[in-house]
Amino acid sequence: MTTDELEKLLTKLPVSQLHMLARGRIHRHFRLGKRRLVEALLGHVSVNRGGLESDLQALIQQSPPPSQESRPRQKPGSAPAGVGRAGNKQRAPSEAGHAEPAVPASDLSAFLDGIGVPPPQPLVPDAWQEEALGHLATTDVIVSVPTGSGKTYVAIEAAKRAIEADRTVIYTSPLKALSNTKFTELSKLFGADQVGILTGDRRDNPHAPLLIMTTEILRNLLYDAASGEIDVRLDTLGLVIMDESQYIADPERGVVWEETIIFCPAQARLLLLSASIGNPQEIAAWLTSIRPTPCHLVQHHRRSVPLRAGYLHPNGKLAPLFRSVGIPHGHGALLHPETKRLFAQYEDATLPSR
Amino acid sequence: MPPSIHPFDLVAALRHKHLTPAIVFLTSRRACDDAMQAIQRSQVTLPPQRQHAISLVLKELSTQYPSIAEHPLLQTVERYGVAAHHAGHLPSWKIAIEELMRQGYLDAVFATTTLAAGVDFPARTVVLTQSSVRKTREFTDLTISEVQQLAGRAGRRGKDFVGFAIVTPSPYIDIDVITKGLTGHPEPIDSQFVIAYPMVLNLLKAHPLDHIQGILARSFAQFQLNRRAEALEAKQDAVHKQMEPYGPRVCTDWITQWQIFDLARKQKAQRAHIRRREPPELMARWQFLTPGRVVGLPKGRGVVLRQYRSRGERCPMVTVLRPGGHVTECPAAMITHLYDRTLEVEEAREFPWCTVDSLGHLIEELSELPTRIPNLPILVQEEAEETEITLTLNDEFPCPTCPSRLPCQKDHATALRLRQELQRHTKTIQAHRTGLWHRFQERTEVLQRYGYLTSTCHLTEDGEWARLIRIDPSLLITELIRTEAFSGIEPQILAGIMASIAHDDDRPGSFPRISHGLASLLGQVRKLAQSLAPHEDPPLLRADVAALAERWVGDTSLTWIRLCQTTTMAEGDIYRLLARNLEFLSQLHTLRATHPGLADTASRAIKALRRDVLEELP
Repeated sequence: MTTDELEKLLTKLPVSQLHMLARGRIHRHFRLGKRRLVEALLGHVSVNRGGLESDLQALIQQSPPPSQESRPRQKPGSAPAGVGRAGNKQRAPSEAGHAEPAVPASDLSAFLDGIGVPPPQPLVPDAWQEEALGHLATTDVIVSVPTGSGKTYVAIEAAKRAIEADRTVIYTSPLKALSNTKFTELSKLFGADQVGILTGDRRDNPHAPLLIMTTEILRNLLYDAASGEIDVRLDTLGLVIMDESQYIADPERGVVWEETIIFCPAQARLLLLSASIGNPQEIAAWLTSIRPTPCHLVQHHRRSVPLRAGYLHPNGKLAPLFRSVGIPHGHGALLHPETKRLFAQYEDATLPSR
Repeated sequence: MPPSIHPFDLVAALRHKHLTPAIVFLTSRRACDDAMQAIQRSQVTLPPQRQHAISLVLKELSTQYPSIAEHPLLQTVERYGVAAHHAGHLPSWKIAIEELMRQGYLDAVFATTTLAAGVDFPARTVVLTQSSVRKTREFTDLTISEVQQLAGRAGRRGKDFVGFAIVTPSPYIDIDVITKGLTGHPEPIDSQFVIAYPMVLNLLKAHPLDHIQGILARSFAQFQLNRRAEALEAKQDAVHKQMEPYGPRVCTDWITQWQIFDLARKQKAQRAHIRRREPPELMARWQFLTPGRVVGLPKGRGVVLRQYRSRGERCPMVTVLRPGGHVTECPAAMITHLYDRTLEVEEAREFPWCTVDSLGHLIEELSELPTRIPNLPILVQEEAEETEITLTLNDEFPCPTCPSRLPCQKDHATALRLRQELQRHTKTIQAHRTGLWHRFQERTEVLQRYGYLTSTCHLTEDGEWARLIRIDPSLLITELIRTEAFSGIEPQILAGIMASIAHDDDRPGSFPRISHGLASLLGQVRKLAQSLAPHEDPPLLRADVAALAERWVGDTSLTWIRLCQTTTMAEGDIYRLLARNLEFLSQLHTLRATHPGLADTASRAIKALRRDVLEELP
C-alpha cells in the first residue's frame, strides 16, 4: 500500500474510527481534528507501517461500506465492548472472516495442490533458449532470466557449438567454488581432455578448448595479452561465457567484469548470463556501443517451475501469502485475509505494547 | 506467542505439508547452529533406510574429501536429515551438504542469506525469516533482487511441479519488504567502476597515454554517466528556454547586480541583529552554560542548574547551585570561569530545577571537587568585518533611475534561481563526462610520486613488476617489496604478513601468541600502510590472523583440528583466510623474474600452506 493509497483510505474513515486507530500510536490524539489525525497517522507510518495497515484493513472489513451514512455514527455507541481497552485486535479475527472480498481468495488446498515430482521428460529447449543460441551465431547475447530457468543449458549448448567450429571457449564464474563445480560438471559432459580450469592457484589442462576460470583470471589474461605476453590462445577464442554477470554491480569486484568485457577480443562472442535484473536493456545498449556487433537481449520473467508464496505462523499454521495462488506482479498485491489476520495477531502479541 | 517458530516445529510443519526439501534462510551463522542444536535435542530421527542412504553418500564423498569424515555434525546430519550451510563451514562440508540436497536426501538446510549467491542448490521450498541482512555493520532491507534471488532457489526443474517461498514471522521481519520483493521488478544495477593502481599500470603498459581516455570511455561506468549527462543536457535546454524572457535588459548583468544587492541587504539585516544582542564573549560562553556545568563565580564555584533569559534584567541568566546547597540566580556575565567539568543533573521543571535526589548528589559532588580544574577553552568569534559591499551599499538600489528597475525587482529571484540551476547542471555534466579520466590522472600522479611511472607516464623498472600484483591493497604490497621489508624473511613470517593484509573481516577471533619477528615486521607494515592511507585504504592488519597463518606455515606437523582449537574463529573463516593467503602468495610468486628470493620464499610458504584440508579442494 503506498502512502497515497493509505491517505485516501484514512480520509474515508469516520473520525471515531480514526481515533480508534490512533489509540496508543499518537500522543493526545483525542485533541486532534480529522485532518490533523490523518496527518499524524501518516506520520506514524515510518514507525510501524505493517501494524497500521493491518489494523486499518481490519477496521475497513469490520465496518460497512461508507455509503451507508447512518452506520458509522451508530458504531461507536453500539459496540463499546469491542472498542474498549482490549483494543480492536481481538475482534478482528471473528469478523474479518465475514467480509466478502471482491476476488475470492484461494484456499490452502488450492495453494498446496500440485506438489509432487513430475515424471521424467526429455529435455526440450525453451523458445528463449533457442533464441539465445540462434543469435549467438552472429552477435553477442545477454540472457537475463529468473534463477533456475535453465541458463546453464544455453551455456553448454553454446560451448558445444563453438567447440565443434574449432574455437576456444572460456567460461567464467564469480567464485572459485562455482568454477570447481562447473569444472567437474562439464568434464563429465565434454570429456576430461576437453575441459581445463584456471583459478588463482589451480591450473589443469590449460590448453583444452573449453576453459573454466574465475573472472579475475580472465581479466589478468587479457591484460597480459594486451601487453604482449600471451599465455592462452586468444586468437582462436570464439566464445566467452560470463556466468552470474549481475556481479558487474558488486561494489568490490564489479570493475573486473567491466574490464573483462572492455578488453574481450573483438572476434569472440560474448554470452552474458545473469539473474533477473532491472536494466538489462542498458547493459545491452552498452555492449552494442563498444562491441563490433550489436548485442541481443534475451529476457523474460516467467519461471520454468512456478513459484507460490506462503505464510507459516509460529503456531505451525500455513496459509497462502497472497490472495491469488501464484505470486502477483506489480504494486498493491493483496495479502490473503487469513495471513493478514495471523500476522496482525503476531504483531499484536510480539510488538511492545502500544 | 513465541517470537518465531521453533526450528523443530518448522521442519515438522514442512514435512507434514510435503514441502521438503527446504532451504531455511536465517539471520546469522549462530542462528543456523542453534537451529541444528534444537533439532538434535528433539530426538526425532529419520527412518533407518534414509539414514543409511545419507551415510552412503557421505562415505563416498569422504574418500575425496577426508575432512568430511571427521566433521562433528556428521552424525546429526545422518540421523536427522537436516544440515546447516554457512560460511563458517569448510568448503568440503558445504559441498557434501549441497550434494545431499541435490540428491534429495535432506529435509532442510539452514543457511544464511549473506551467502545466497554462493548457495548453488535448489529445493522445493525456501523459507524466509528475515527482511533485512547485515551488510558490513548495519542491517539493511533486502532489495527486490535479493528477495527474488533467495526465493528463486525454490522449485527444482524436473523435480517439482511447483516451488514455494514460505514467509515465517520473526522479530527480524517486515512483511512489506518481502511481499514487495516477491511481486516487484528488480532494481536496475549500476556500474561500480573503480580505477585501481594495477589497472593504471597495466593500461599504460599496453597502451599509449593518449589512448587511455578512449578506453575508459568504453566502460559501463562512462556509458551510464553519459546517459545521465545527456538527461541533464536535456534539462539544461529546458532551463535555457525558461531563461529566455530574462535576457539582457538595460544593463546586461542585471541578475548579478541584483544578487549582490540582495546579499548586501541580508548582511545588513543580520548585522543589526547581532548588535542588539550581547557581547560575543558572552554569546560564545552561553552555549556551554548547560545544566551540570561547573562554573567559577567571583566568590567560589557553582553548578549550573538552568539557563534562561530574564525579562526584568534584560540579560541571559543562569541558576547556580552554590556549595552548601544555596540555589541562586545570577547574570551569565558574572561568571568568571568556565571549567571543563560537568556533573550529572536530572533536570526538573520547577524549583530547584533538578530532582531532589540529584540535588543531594550535586551538593556532595560539588564539595568533593578538586581545587584545580582545567578551564574550558572557548573560541570567541570576532565580530565579522563589514565587507566592502555592505559598507558601500545603502539600502538604496545602486541605480535608482534605471527604467527597468521594477521589472528587474520582480524577476530577479526567478532568474537567479534558473541561472544557478543552469550552472549546477553544467558542473555536473562536466563531472560526469570527465570524472573517470580525472580519477585516472590522480592515480597516475600518485604512481609517479612513488616512482612506478616516469613523468611521461611510461612504466619504470619498478612499474614493470608492480603491474603483476593485481590484488588489493596493491600499493602497500609493492611498496613493501620495494622497501625490501620481505628480504631474507622466513616463509611463515611472509605468510603471516600476507594473511594480515588479505584478511578483511573484522569478526572477532583470538589467538594470543605472535612471534617477535612477525610482530615487529607487522608494526613496520602498519606504519607504511598509515603513510599510504591518503592514496589507498589501509587494510585491517590484524595480528591474530597473522599469527594463525604463521603457525600453520611454520609448524608443518600441526593438524587442522589443532589449528582450529587455537582460535575462536570458525573453521570456514580460517579456511578462507588461508585460501586467500594462497592467492596472495601466488601473486608474489609471479615476480620470480625480478625478485627470485621473494618468489622462492613465497613458493615455500605455498607448499607449506597447502596441506591437510587445504589440499582437499583443488
